[in-house]
Amino acid sequence: MAEHLLVADGLGKTYGDVVKTTALSDVTFSVERGEFASVIGQSGSGKSTLLNLIGLLDTPTTGQVLVDGRETAALGRRGRARLRNELLGFVFQFHHLLPEFSVVENVLMPGLIAGRDARRSRVRAEEVLALLGLEGLEDKNANELSGGQKQRVAIGRALLNEPALVLADEPTGNLDTANTARVYELFRKVNAELGTGFLIVTHDRSVAQQTDRILEISDGRLVQDVRNTYAAPAP
Amino acid sequence: MLSLRIAARFLRRNPVQSGLIAAGIAVGIGVQVFLGSLITSLQQNLVDETVGSSPQVTVVAAAEGDPVDLTPTMWDALSRDDRVTTAVPVRRFSAIYRRKAESVPLQVVGGDLGALDTIYDISKRVVAGRARLSGDAVIVGKDFAKANGLAPGDAATLVLPDGRVAGRTVTAVADFGAAAANETLAFVPAGFAGDVLDLGDGQYTAVEMQVSDVFQSTAVADALRADPAFAGTKVTEWQSQNRDLLTALQSQSSSSYTIQAFVLIAVALGIASTLAISAVQKTRQIGILKAMGMHDSRAGRIFLWQAALLGVTGAAVGVGVGLALIVLFSRLASTFTITPQWSFVAVSFAVGVLVALLSSLIPSRRTSRLDPIEVIQSG
Ligand SMILES: Nc1ncnc2c1ncn2[C@@H]1O[C@H](COP(=O)(O)OP(=O)(O)O)[C@@H](O)[C@H]1O
Ligand SMILES: [Mg+2]
Repeated sequence: MAEHLLVADGLGKTYGDVVKTTALSDVTFSVERGEFASVIGQSGSGKSTLLNLIGLLDTPTTGQVLVDGRETAALGRRGRARLRNELLGFVFQFHHLLPEFSVVENVLMPGLIAGRDARRSRVRAEEVLALLGLEGLEDKNANELSGGQKQRVAIGRALLNEPALVLADEPTGNLDTANTARVYELFRKVNAELGTGFLIVTHDRSVAQQTDRILEISDGRLVQDVRNTYAAPAP
Repeated sequence: MLSLRIAARFLRRNPVQSGLIAAGIAVGIGVQVFLGSLITSLQQNLVDETVGSSPQVTVVAAAEGDPVDLTPTMWDALSRDDRVTTAVPVRRFSAIYRRKAESVPLQVVGGDLGALDTIYDISKRVVAGRARLSGDAVIVGKDFAKANGLAPGDAATLVLPDGRVAGRTVTAVADFGAAAANETLAFVPAGFAGDVLDLGDGQYTAVEMQVSDVFQSTAVADALRADPAFAGTKVTEWQSQNRDLLTALQSQSSSSYTIQAFVLIAVALGIASTLAISAVQKTRQIGILKAMGMHDSRAGRIFLWQAALLGVTGAAVGVGVGLALIVLFSRLASTFTITPQWSFVAVSFAVGVLVALLSSLIPSRRTSRLDPIEVIQSG
């Protein structure tokens, strides 16, 4: 039997040394390749904390994160950085683009970090930008784009290294309805065409309804983990 | 090289800030190059004026008043040591120039003009007449000539050590470069001096030498003292006779080093603080790069590269500024030229780059320790 892509095993996170805030306790679940899942919960329930832990951006207070059956705590900072680069893609509420670089340079940055050939990375970045409907914007500065365009560039960057799993934390939190719909369409399309897994954090139930699996977090605990058979598959 | 690319891009995005740091380094290194070359040239000039046209190592007989017998073995030893650029046998005596009731003391050096020129540079220093040292010739200093109203062609009467009186003819008046020499130094043919001192062939009062590096005079003198060919002689050299001058040069050097060190410290503090500010400004970008999987040491290298780029550019401009100052100074103060000290220029350049790199250690450590989550969480 193949290993789970990612396993959250009894994850807990307590912030602060003096005033302790337990943001997450004993969360256990696993994610398979190609899944299209969402994490839902009220503001402050611990969704971002969870995503940062399984995204190897933060270390849990209790429990562990396994990737392909390997304990990530044992990999060290360098090993986890490598996994973030090769296996994961991130889309945040804020686009977090690098203002010093052009659109295409932003998108190909994970390829350069991986040490890939710059030419090939550029070709791949241009393909990704085309897929996201951003042709012609390659050499613009990231600052010159609209909010929706910026977020799509950030998605392109997350997809560049063909990650097994994209972690998106309220990716449309700063977008209008039209752009929001467009982003989720794109996620679906990439999931269907490339088999990229998605774990999307949202506090919007209607967004969650469009995913195949809904994990619900309340007060730092995983209270529900259901298959959503009503989700509309990509056309 | 990704770190270098990112560093270059960061610098280009803040041209004013980058320009200011580079300018700071340039000013510091420019001062280094100028000050260092100025001090070194001043000292070289001073040393040159002191011993450039006089013997740096001298061999005399161990017993005062005795002549030195210049043997072929001694001569061989001197020509074999290639630190010795010239060795000139001379016959020195004191005489008195008599004019009416007045008596003026003179230090007379007897030798061959060609050989004497290699130390005293007489022919080039002639200000009146033509350098010639044969027959009844005498060459005198310009101050002496002026005080006694002498011109080339004039007769001069000398009272010799044994009381005899000799009539000489002034062939040339020279500027020996120092007041004492211009007042008392005189040159006569070797043969005449031999007669005066009653010396045979191969007998001299001293062998005077110059060495390729004036500061090697001690080593050369020591080597001669140890050489059996020079048994029965006494070797002196200019450094042991000019302790005060050397001490003055040394304290001048150390005060110059102190100034240079403080300039470098000021430059280092400037770069360090500006780079630290830049590192803070780029915290978000570094966090994002780390979230995408850039590892810590590579992220830290971004600021090392920034420092290297700034250091190389700033130091290169600084060398240019320093050289320009040297040229400008040499044009304005025409009596004295500063020679750029290339080894010093190279060292200053390297020091500039090194100082920049050292100043980047704190920001690059900060950067390599930054946790991406700090940036991601704060939005
Ligand atoms: N760095 C932190 N320090 C202290 N408390 C934090 C920190 N980050 C999050 N929290 C707290 O942890 C809880 C969960 O936060 P978060 O995971 O951001 O929730 P969500 O993303 O669901 O809105 C909240 O109570 C929040 O105030
Ligand atoms: Mg959140």
